[in-house]
Amino acid sequence: MNVATTGVRAASVGLAKRSVVNITRLPSAFLPSIAMPVFQAVSFAGTFFAITRIPGFPTSRSINWFLPLAVMMGSGFAGIGIGFTTIRDLESGFYDRIRLSPAPRASLLAGPLLAALVRAVLMTTIVLIIGALFGARPTHGIGGVLLLYVAGLGVATLGTGWGLAIAYRFRDMRGAAVMQLTLFLVLFLSEAQTPLSIMDGWLEGVTRINPFNNIIRLGRLGFVDAPITWDNTWGGLVAVLVLGALTLLFAHRSLDRLADV
Amino acid sequence: MTLATATAQTSGVAQTWALSRRSMLALFRQPSLVIPSLVFPLFFAALGTASYSRATALPGFPEVDSYLDFALAGAVVQGILFGSTVGATALATDIENGFFDRLLASPSTRTGIIVGRMAGGMAYGAFQTAFFVVVLLPFGLTVQGGVPGVLGLVVAGIFLALAVGALMASMALLTGSSEAVQGSFPLLFIALFFSSAFFPRETMSGVYADLADLNPVSYLVEGMRDLVIEGVSASALARAILVPAAIAIATVALALRTLDRRLGAS
Amino acid sequence: MADESLPIAAEGLKRYFGSGDDIVKAVDGVDLRIQPGEIFGFLGPNGAGKSTTVRMLTTLLRPTGGHARVAGYDVVSEAADVRRNIGVALQDAAIDPLMTGRELLRLQAVLYGLPKAKHGERAAELLDRVGLTAAADRRVGTYSGGMRRRLDLALSLIHEPSVLFLDEPTTGLDPMSRIALWEEIKRLNHDGTTVLLTTQYLEEADQLAERIAIIDNGVIVRKGRPAELKAEVGSPTLFIGVEPDVADRASEILAEFGELRPTAEGTLGVGLPGGSAQISAVVRRLDEAGIGVRDLELHEPSLDDVFAEATGYRLEGAES
Repeated sequence: MNVATTGVRAASVGLAKRSVVNITRLPSAFLPSIAMPVFQAVSFAGTFFAITRIPGFPTSRSINWFLPLAVMMGSGFAGIGIGFTTIRDLESGFYDRIRLSPAPRASLLAGPLLAALVRAVLMTTIVLIIGALFGARPTHGIGGVLLLYVAGLGVATLGTGWGLAIAYRFRDMRGAAVMQLTLFLVLFLSEAQTPLSIMDGWLEGVTRINPFNNIIRLGRLGFVDAPITWDNTWGGLVAVLVLGALTLLFAHRSLDRLADV
Repeated sequence: MTLATATAQTSGVAQTWALSRRSMLALFRQPSLVIPSLVFPLFFAALGTASYSRATALPGFPEVDSYLDFALAGAVVQGILFGSTVGATALATDIENGFFDRLLASPSTRTGIIVGRMAGGMAYGAFQTAFFVVVLLPFGLTVQGGVPGVLGLVVAGIFLALAVGALMASMALLTGSSEAVQGSFPLLFIALFFSSAFFPRETMSGVYADLADLNPVSYLVEGMRDLVIEGVSASALARAILVPAAIAIATVALALRTLDRRLGAS
Repeated sequence: MADESLPIAAEGLKRYFGSGDDIVKAVDGVDLRIQPGEIFGFLGPNGAGKSTTVRMLTTLLRPTGGHARVAGYDVVSEAADVRRNIGVALQDAAIDPLMTGRELLRLQAVLYGLPKAKHGERAAELLDRVGLTAAADRRVGTYSGGMRRRLDLALSLIHEPSVLFLDEPTTGLDPMSRIALWEEIKRLNHDGTTVLLTTQYLEEADQLAERIAIIDNGVIVRKGRPAELKAEVGSPTLFIGVEPDVADRASEILAEFGELRPTAEGTLGVGLPGGSAQISAVVRRLDEAGIGVRDLELHEPSLDDVFAEATGYRLEGAES
C-alpha cells in the first residue's frame, strides 16, 4: 500500500481519542481527577473561611478564593496525568509502537495535550457547577469565568509538557514523584492560600519570582472584587504562553533523546 | 506444663516482638514511602505559617505567638495519617503475596500478629511526633507545656497511630488489596480537612462548622494544640489522649473481627 | 555508502552504552546486506545484540557509529521515511491492555495515514487474517500471549510494509502458536515482503530463513545460507556420555579421531570426518582404555553445530 504522509492533525486527534477513552477505562485514575479538585475547593473554602475576614482580602467569599486554586491544581494534574500514562506506556513497551509510526513527532505531543485540555475543561466545568452550589459567584460575568478556563488550560498545557518531558527522561515511576512534587511546589509557593499583601517573610519573596503566580492571579480575576484590567491580565497570559512553549519544547527535545537510550 | 506448650508460649512473645521489629524496619527500608509522611506536613506547616500569620489576629483565633504554634498539632495528625497508610499498605501487600497466610499457619497468636503489626506503626507515630517538634523548634516553635507537654503529644501520637493503623489494617484485612488501602487514603484526608486541624472551629460557619463540631479529630487536635499553646492541663491531656484511645479501642476491635472473618472465609 | 537498492543494508553499525570503563559495546560493527524478498534470520543468545541492532534499523535507537539504510532511506537522517515503509513487531508484543484489538488497529491506521474511509475495512481484513475477528472488540488485557503476538503482527502490517522486522516473534509461545506464526511469516514472504527475523531458536532460523547471521557479543561471527554453514562445519558430530572422572582421559582418546567440539555439560563431542563408519572404532578404543560409554549419538551437522563452532558454546535449551 502506498502510504501518504500522516497529517499532524489526524494523528493528534487519533492519539487524543485514545487518551480520553483510556482514562475513562481506568476509574481509579479518572474519578479522583474530578473528585479531588471539588474536594479541595470546598474543604479549603470551609476550613480557611476566616481569612476572608482579614482587612483588605480581595473577596468576601472564601469559595471564590479557593475555587480557582482547585481548578489550577486539577488542571495541573490533568497535564501530569498524561505523564503518568506515558510512563506506563514506556515501561510496558507500547510507546515503542507509537514511536515506530511515521506520525509527525509533534503529534506525539499534541495528541496527549489535546486529551489533557479536554479533561481540564470537563473538570473545570464540574468544579464550577459544584462550586456555585457552595456559594461561588463570578464577579465579572462570563468574561471572568472564561479567564479561569484560559488559566486552567494554560496550566494543563504546561503540566502536559512537563509531564511528558519528565516521563521521557526518567522512563519509570520515579518520574511520577518528580512531576507531583514540582507541581505542588510551584503551585503552593505562591498566592495559592493568601494574597501577597497578607503573607509574610520568605514566602512573599518566593511568590514574587514564581511565574506560576501570575497564572493563578489570572484564574482568580473573575472571582475577586478588583476590576479586570490589562495590567493584571497580561502577566498571566505571558506566563501561560512562555511556560507552555518552554515545557513543550523541553518535551520535544526529550522525546528525541529517547533514541539515545 | 509440657515442653511443647512452654515453647509455644515463649515463642508467642518472641514472635510478636519479631513481627513488630519487622514492621518497623519495613518502614525505614522504604524511604520513598516514608519521606512524604515526614516532609509534606512540614512543608504545609511552613507554608501555612507564611500564609496565615495575619489570620491569628482574627476573632475566634486563640492567643498564639505565631501560626506555627497553632499548626503543629495539625501537622502531627496529618503526618500520622500518612504514616499509618504506609503500614497498612504493607499488610495488604503481605496478604497479596501470601506471607500473611504463612504467619497464620505458624503458631503465633492472632492478637500477636495484629499487635506486632500495630506496634511498628505506633513506634513510628512516636518518632514522627518527636521529629516534627524537634525540626520546628529552631523555626520559632514554642511548646508551652514544656517537656511534659511534648511527652503528652508523643503519647497522643502513639494512640492516634494505633487508632488509624488499626482502621487501615481492617481495610487491608477486608479487601486484601494494597490498592484499596491506598485508595481509601482520601477518606482520612476528608476527616482531617473537615476538622479544626488547620483553623479553629470558632472561625468556621454553617454546615462546615457543624461537621467540624461532630468530627472527633477536632477534639483530638485541639487537645494536642492546647498542650502546645496553653500548657499541660487535665482537659488538654484528656482530649489529646482519650479521644484517640477511644477510637483505637473501636478500631482494634474492628481489626480483630475482620481478621476473624478473613480466617473464617479462608 | 550502504547500498540504496537493498531493503536493509548496514555498514559498521555500532551501538555503545555508557562510557569510560563501564562502556558496553552492545553492537560493535555489524554489516548486513539483505536482498529483496528474502527472509533473513538473526540468531544469537539473549544480550548478544540482536534487539539493539533491530532497534537501530527501525529508528528507535540512534547508532553510535556506522550507517544503515532501510527501504532505501537512511535510518538517522530520513527516519520518517524509514518508518513509513517498515513494519515492526517487537519483543514481548507490548500492547495497551485497555484498548480493544479493533481500536488499536484503527489507531494504527490513523498513525500510518491511511485514508479514513479504509480504516474499518483494513482493520477487519487484518483481524480476519490473524484469526482475531471474534476477539476484536475485547480489551487486549484479556488476550492470551499467542493472541497478543498475532495482534502485534497485524498492527505491524497495517500499511502493507515492504520490509518487516520481527524481534523474537515466537519467544514464549506454545508449539502450536509458533507453527501458525511461521506459516503466516512464510505467506507474507511469499507475497513479496522482505523479513528480518531475530530468534534464539535454531530450529526457527532453520525453518524460515534463507540466510542467517549469528551474532555474539555484538559481532557477527557467521553469515550465510544454513546449508552452506552446516557444510562448512563439515563432518558429523559424535556425542558420547561418560562418567565425569574419566572425561579427561576419554577426551584425549577422542582427539585421536577428529577435532573436539563444544558440548553441553556431561557429554563429549568429536567431529568424525569418516562419519558413522568410524563409530565402532571409537567405541572399541574407549573400551580398551577401560572407559564405559553411557550413551552415544551421531548428529549430522546442524545450525547448533555452526553456532557452537562460531561462538564456542551452545545455545541454552538447544537440542544437542
